[in-house]
Amino acid sequence: MTGIVDKVKQVDGAAVTVQRDNRIFVDVSKDKLTGALYSMKLLGFNQLSIMSAVDRIEDGQFEIFYVLYNYKEKVNGVVRTRISRDKAEIETVEKIYTPAHTYERELTEMFGIKVLGNSDSGKPFILENWKGQPPMRKDFDSVGYVNSHYEFRHSAEEETEGKDE
Amino acid sequence: MDKMTEEQYRAISNMLRKRSLWMLHYCTGCGAMELPPTMTSRYDMERFGIVPYVTPRQADILLVTGYVNIKTLRRIVTVYEQMLDPKYVIGFGSCPINGGVYWDSYSVIKQLDKYIPVDLYIAGCMPRPEAVISSFRHLMDLIDKGQANGYRRYKENYEYYEKNQRKVLG
Repeated sequence: MTGIVDKVKQVDGAAVTVQRDNRIFVDVSKDKLTGALYSMKLLGFNQLSIMSAVDRIEDGQFEIFYVLYNYKEKVNGVVRTRISRDKAEIETVEKIYTPAHTYERELTEMFGIKVLGNSDSGKPFILENWKGQPPMRKDFDSVGYVNSHYEFRHSAEEETEGKDE
Repeated sequence: MDKMTEEQYRAISNMLRKRSLWMLHYCTGCGAMELPPTMTSRYDMERFGIVPYVTPRQADILLVTGYVNIKTLRRIVTVYEQMLDPKYVIGFGSCPINGGVYWDSYSVIKQLDKYIPVDLYIAGCMPRPEAVISSFRHLMDLIDKGQANGYRRYKENYEYYEKNQRKVLG
């Protein structure tokens, strides 16, 4: 464990936090993200378990994270970066981690983050024919969307109450 | 032999239909979990002549087991239109009835019967296999009486259903 932490600390631009015995967080800037992921892969973090985003609306930023796993050392490595919420764009990492291709499509659809270099980014994926704001952004009004798009079924009691008034 | 009237013909065909229902279980949500015990030896729905089937073109019942989101609804409408008459739809659990726990979800529809005609709903979250079997028996009674006519309603009110489908599917 200590050996791999020392090696991860050598990654260019990495601010390393050891969260638990088997969990290392690596914070990098947006420019050094691709290089950091490549270095992590060379260190034995072969599997991309998941990548997604967190909407840090209070900072006006998206936090993109890549959860990696090292089978040899049995360590999770989480690479995180922050990007601006107004100009949400990242570079694709599908050349380094192939499964990222699908995750990036999901990112585009659910958060509206543009992924440069991903050929399928922007094609309809889970939400077909979705118009308007991406639903996973924190300022998306879910109940308002439901009220404007669907009708609720009212119970018999509610209907009789309405008639009395 | 005298000529059979249309009423008599319909009564006989309904009687035969209700004894041989082939079911297409469209497993969308958690309700799919209740079907293996219903199909297999514990509750054994085959004793009522109901068999699970794999293709829509040979099935009579469409069982929508659980929540229906927009992406699924598109497939359900396609599958429903592929099925041949007579066809019956059973909405399974509380989610197709009123959205269930997904009442505030942006992608889950709230009433299945606005998009395809539903002959029967089973309430519950989730309905036990006993409830499923009981609803099949009820559906058989409806077919026998000629009241399970959702497929005719779909043809007669197609504009209404199409309008609702277009509203959510875009």
